[in-house]
Amino acid sequence: MVPIARRNLFAEKGRFAISVAGVGFAVLLIVTVLALYRGWSRTGQIFQEMPGQLWVVQQGTSDPFHSVSLLERADLERTASVPGVRAVVPVMSRQMALSVAGSEESVRLMALDASAGLPVTPELRERFLPDSGKIIIESVLSRQTGLDRGDRAQFGDLSLTVSDVRPAGTEVLSQFAFVHFEDAKQIFGIGDIVTYGMVVLLPDADVPAVGAAIADQNPRLKVYTAEEFAKSIRKEIDESFIPVIAILVAIGFVVGTAVVGLTIYTATIERTREFGVMKAVGASAGFLYRIVLSQSAMLVAAGFLVGLLGARILADLAAEAVPEFATDFQARDIAAVGAAALVTTVIASLVPAHRVNSIDPALVFRA
Amino acid sequence: MSDEVLRASGVTHIFGRGNTAVRAVDDVSFAVPAGQLLLIMGPSGSGKTTLLTIIGGLLRPTSGSVLVDGVDITKLSAGQLVPLRRRSVGFVFQSFNLWESLTARENVELPLNMAGVKGREARDRATRLLEERGLKHRLGFRSRDLSGGEKQRVSIARALANEPRLLLADEPTANLDSTHGREVMSLLQGIARSSRTAAGPGAGRAVIVVSHDQRIREVADRVLWMEDGRIRDIGHTVRDPVCGMGVEVDRGVAVVHEGRTFHFCSRGCSLEFQASPERFLAGVAEGQG
Repeated sequence: MVPIARRNLFAEKGRFAISVAGVGFAVLLIVTVLALYRGWSRTGQIFQEMPGQLWVVQQGTSDPFHSVSLLERADLERTASVPGVRAVVPVMSRQMALSVAGSEESVRLMALDASAGLPVTPELRERFLPDSGKIIIESVLSRQTGLDRGDRAQFGDLSLTVSDVRPAGTEVLSQFAFVHFEDAKQIFGIGDIVTYGMVVLLPDADVPAVGAAIADQNPRLKVYTAEEFAKSIRKEIDESFIPVIAILVAIGFVVGTAVVGLTIYTATIERTREFGVMKAVGASAGFLYRIVLSQSAMLVAAGFLVGLLGARILADLAAEAVPEFATDFQARDIAAVGAAALVTTVIASLVPAHRVNSIDPALVFRA
Repeated sequence: MSDEVLRASGVTHIFGRGNTAVRAVDDVSFAVPAGQLLLIMGPSGSGKTTLLTIIGGLLRPTSGSVLVDGVDITKLSAGQLVPLRRRSVGFVFQSFNLWESLTARENVELPLNMAGVKGREARDRATRLLEERGLKHRLGFRSRDLSGGEKQRVSIARALANEPRLLLADEPTANLDSTHGREVMSLLQGIARSSRTAAGPGAGRAVIVVSHDQRIREVADRVLWMEDGRIRDIGHTVRDPVCGMGVEVDRGVAVVHEGRTFHFCSRGCSLEFQASPERFLAGVAEGQG
């Protein structure tokens, strides 16, 4: 087959390049925003990575992450007696000011009381259980503050040594840092009051049933599964971010469709006579529509690839400049954008195809 | 295969309505047999191109019938006309109307693709058609890089790609200099002539040319004059075997030699012929005399 669609498109290389850039920009916008959303959606996942299947907070706490939950250790000790529970680990968690070289940075300090029967593995110790006088931070905080392994971080009167810098974590809204439980007690200064209880269940325990039993046993406690707990933290992002994402994706889709549509329409108008000649010499409507559709598809495919590549480069550069620019490119999102690109192809070729269909082939005899 | 390629009967086309109505083609009837090159002449606005558009199935007449290869195309739907134009009619245009982004070969290949001929077969056929018209060295050239004469030869090759029985040419020499104009006239004459003796594809083909160019009269078998939408037959034209000029059969000097009638533009040419007929007979094709 004569590649007439390709030839028509490449006949105007400048316009083709500008159009590909336009589609690429739309794809870049959509893919980057989606990747950013996915990256931010990992917020709270750290609670699913810890060994507890259930989390208990003070009843009435509207938002376990942002409002303060205060629990007495005695409540958690009673919870440990519920059948199916292996251990209830007291957890302290609070946003605190960290002093580094005269400046302050906000950090989410967390401490797990490993002495409460928590089965400690080397991996758990490495990530969440530093020794006394030590602090484990994440790389984002490290880049924000310049703190590195062996440096000292100041919390009020207490000075802690950075024992490890973990790779960038899942949290965007807040950077997590883990300290020893006794150090946390000294920093927070709230005695035997803790923030959460992390409930580790026996291997065969029925998670919802144990959760219900804990809530029945102590009405002052509210019980979350680890997934619900993480989700409650993400709620803020989902409610504020998704509408923005939806608008940006819609803008990207409209921009992409408009760029492709206008390009193909212009290319069609310019070649009205050539399409007229095709009709005159016996080209069927399907034949002509395939040409228009192929032009549209080639433009979208090139723009899609350019956009993907651009998004990847942009994400890397942005993450270098802004540590919180956490992106997660997921195959399903790229597939969805690819599907949207297919829809764009079809929509963008409808008007030009209609224009081609309406060309009077008799015009070929007009000089 | 029918000997009559085209028959137009009472074809009328009116543009507009009421007081603004214009009768562009007015009760036109004629037939074109296979092997004939018919020239339609007339002043601008006489309706020549409208008539050609109707014959080519691109415009539906207000009344009358047009039979192409025995099929009344005025009764076909727009959808049915598409394959008919692809299969039975070839078009050659004044401004060539080549596809500019394609090469010469691709311009010929594309109509073959439309007809379902693809790949190597389409490429080979396109190559052969262009080589036969002296364009072997221009196969891969973009059409915009060709000279006017070359463009028109590509246009003729394209028109013949699907071996139509009817070739319609609208002012094919208007945008060409005299040398290239003669080349094109010669090609069109050759297409009509060769189809008289050919068997299989290309056999029984008729060529209709609409033109102001008086030079085409030299190669036309018959000339119709069109004015105010009406036509009149101004006779069959044959070539004077001595000087090569086109001669209207009814107006020239006729000489019978060995049972064949030859027509001359003047008494001088007829006398020169009679003095030494064998000098001129070699250049006279069968049926010309």
